[in-house]
Amino acid sequence: MASLWRKLTHHDGNGWWNLPHTASNEPNPPHEGPIGGAWLGNIWRIMTYGGVSHAGPGFYWLVGLFLSIVTLIEVWLFDIGAVLGGWYIPLLLILSLLKFIGVVAFFMHLRFDHRLFTYLFGASMVVGIFIFTLLLLLLEFGNQPPN
Amino acid sequence: MTQAATTEHHTPVEHTTTGLNNRKLLMWAFLGSDVMFFGAFIATYLVYRGKSLVGPYPSEVLNIPITTVSTFVLLMSSLAMVLALHYVKEGEKNKGTLWILVVVVLGTIFMGFQFVEFREFAHLGLTPRTNIFGTTFFILTGIHGAHVTIGVIWMAFLAYSSNSGALRSDNALDLEIAGLYWHFVDIVWIVIFTVIYLISANDAPPPGMESVIH
Repeated sequence: MASLWRKLTHHDGNGWWNLPHTASNEPNPPHEGPIGGAWLGNIWRIMTYGGVSHAGPGFYWLVGLFLSIVTLIEVWLFDIGAVLGGWYIPLLLILSLLKFIGVVAFFMHLRFDHRLFTYLFGASMVVGIFIFTLLLLLLEFGNQPPN
Repeated sequence: MTQAATTEHHTPVEHTTTGLNNRKLLMWAFLGSDVMFFGAFIATYLVYRGKSLVGPYPSEVLNIPITTVSTFVLLMSSLAMVLALHYVKEGEKNKGTLWILVVVVLGTIFMGFQFVEFREFAHLGLTPRTNIFGTTFFILTGIHGAHVTIGVIWMAFLAYSSNSGALRSDNALDLEIAGLYWHFVDIVWIVIFTVIYLISANDAPPPGMESVIH
């Protein structure tokens, strides 16, 4: 189990979440797949690409299928929204986040590209979400009359 | 100064301060600023959500089945974009051109959906001047539509370049940068579809307010 976890979270020998030091125009490290280490990388290589590039058409079709399925789940949740009650919006936001990450990580190649690009875009996201969350809170609670 | 050299493995090496291509870095910086741009309009929509004093209200006009189809079209255009980049990098000119054209066609179909939706809303009496929902909705989706339009024009030029042989594997970065822009338009729509459509589509008229649509 520990070995499987290590393989799933492995990237370039430093862990999956450690973003690459190399730009996307440089090839993958040996036995490195789009989502993990050697064992999983070999499966992906067989399923999706020949190990020449970071990922090939087969892998991109899989990501496209994933995005489509998540969208269908979102619409299904919309249909049964009344049953979900307070879970409806959090579930939709989580599914939306999954699609967001799928496009940014694999279609925009941040998973394979130099970490500086991820930091640049990620910093914008963090600052943007922080500012606009503050704005929403201010306008929601800032106009309350004093007791 | 940006200067691309080539190693013995034909891997372009960027002689820049960061070691990365400056144009690509600039596009990521632009996308970061565009996050703020769209974030402001999405936040504005949320601030004024449910505060319209007259109809039509979101539950009366938003059409989830149609928007689901247009969302699927835009998602598939992103898939076509990444496939186009793959084939251009591989030097497969015909496949590269074909997939860029698929992006153009799907982007145009998405714009068509948006045009039909806007016309339908106007027919139902919702314009940017009708109420605060109309104002915030049309500004947000309209600006997104403008981004899609720019992207379609950009892709059409790249399809022509690819077909004429000007876009090749050695300058595929031109397509990669355009692709970053296109994928960003897609992820903005992912957020809009969730926040504006799926979450707001059940926003009914406030208590005491009558629907204007019968």
